[in-house]
Amino acid sequence: MIDWLVEPFLLGFQQRALIGGLIAAVMSATVGVWLVLRGMSFFGDAFVHGVLPGIAAAVVFNFNPILGAAVAAAVMVGAVELIHRHTKLREDTAIGLLFVGMMALGVVIISRSSSFTGSLTSILFGDALGVSWDAIRQQAILAAVVIIGSLVLYRPLLALSFSPVKAEALGMRPKLTHALLLVLIATSVIGSFQAVGTMLVFSLLVAPPATAALISRSIPMMIALSASIGAVSVVIGLMLSYHWGTAAAATMALVPIVAFLVIMEAQYLRRRFRRQAEPVPAQEVTAA
Amino acid sequence: MSTFATGRGLQLGYERVTAVAPSDFSIPAGKLTAIIGPNGSGKSTLLHALGGLIEPQGGHLEVLGGSPEAAKSRVSYVMQSVAFPEGVPLSVREVVKMGRYPSSGWFGRFSAADRDRVDRVMDRLRVTDLARRHLEELSGGQRQRVYVAQGLAQDHEVLLLDEPLTGLDIVSARTIDEIIHDETESGRTVVHTTHDLDEANAADHVVLMSGRVVASGSPAEVLTESNLRVAYNLGELHESTGLIVDDPHRAC
Repeated sequence: MIDWLVEPFLLGFQQRALIGGLIAAVMSATVGVWLVLRGMSFFGDAFVHGVLPGIAAAVVFNFNPILGAAVAAAVMVGAVELIHRHTKLREDTAIGLLFVGMMALGVVIISRSSSFTGSLTSILFGDALGVSWDAIRQQAILAAVVIIGSLVLYRPLLALSFSPVKAEALGMRPKLTHALLLVLIATSVIGSFQAVGTMLVFSLLVAPPATAALISRSIPMMIALSASIGAVSVVIGLMLSYHWGTAAAATMALVPIVAFLVIMEAQYLRRRFRRQAEPVPAQEVTAA
Repeated sequence: MSTFATGRGLQLGYERVTAVAPSDFSIPAGKLTAIIGPNGSGKSTLLHALGGLIEPQGGHLEVLGGSPEAAKSRVSYVMQSVAFPEGVPLSVREVVKMGRYPSSGWFGRFSAADRDRVDRVMDRLRVTDLARRHLEELSGGQRQRVYVAQGLAQDHEVLLLDEPLTGLDIVSARTIDEIIHDETESGRTVVHTTHDLDEANAADHVVLMSGRVVASGSPAEVLTESNLRVAYNLGELHESTGLIVDDPHRAC
């Protein structure tokens, strides 16, 4: 049994995959809590795909993919805001348009590459087992920015999640806070895509916080649980992918989603059982 | 009589939508003012403007002798109980503690005085027993008491309340009504929105709204039959003036 648990992490590239995955999971799951609490999951999904053209351009024109992803993220946010301000369309329409547009642009750019399929697969699904120490060092710096940023912005983000109007009334500057949250999400995506790919980083951004939300009684507890679920998902995902011979990043991404579904169903059954046992509450008396 | 707020040709709205057409009015300081009008008449919009939460589209608004933005830290705004964040695991005590954010800022530690202030306002609003409960586990009345406690936890000279007594249980309505009167008796300005003519009659000053300020003054001056007919039967006027209201549920 011990061999079964240890074997997937004996070799250097496996250990780098584990460390890279853990850093990606903890930073994504931490900032992802605010993404879920703000009801911005669709934006997060679009954002994750929105960085694709920047990374693709970096692959084709041979510059730092982190720079490319940062520029693409800024273009994506600017374009969503532009459409929202210049039309009467709801924000989700603008996000949907940019989601498809940026992804298509990314595929168009990468199709100019000589190894089109390999490059695209690597960007979308990551290369967990090919992560270098240099990449891990960059990841660690970005993770520190995201985690410290999330802690420093705790009160403004809490007030914003409670109510943007009340956050404004409390002097918590909700517009600035929202902009800084987007920066933290972008940083997390940029810091994670090499380990798990742009498409699967979304799983680590949303699934651990969503799972934590099912069982948390406070936001600090939700952050701690989310980071823990993300980290455990990486360990279990890498073990399963080693023993089953499946894609490492995809297996890591699936684990927290399965955990979410299992906990959700267990809670539903528990509530149903409790409701059957509890008496019907009396009606509230309303003043005339 | 000193003045809390004065509007001159004040026009309010959100983005391209106008909710309050150019209006003149004044609201006294140290008194209880009720803003009354039908759904979508611009009551909440005016309250937001007084709290410095939206900028005027036109005209001039002076609050506490300066701009609403400058006065914001002296004004405490209390939300309606129907508005609450679903799925956010926030306890009652955490929500009330937010009232101390303006004084403690983004990072400042909560002092013993802050914690004491939170305890006292929770006691006054009778929500101490609910401290560990989540907002979504409360009734509308309990939630409104929590929001008022949050408003009182903030250092303030003015209390703005958005429909604080609408649809509440008896205990909550009486508790909040007592707080409103305690606040005015201690010399603070209280402004609240309402649908209820009795609540408006109980105020010192009334602002009657219908897509603009129809009248502003004492209840006897404002709540006349002719004014109320203008305010509550304005479907034609709204169509002819092309005013756009801020509430899709408006019943003209």
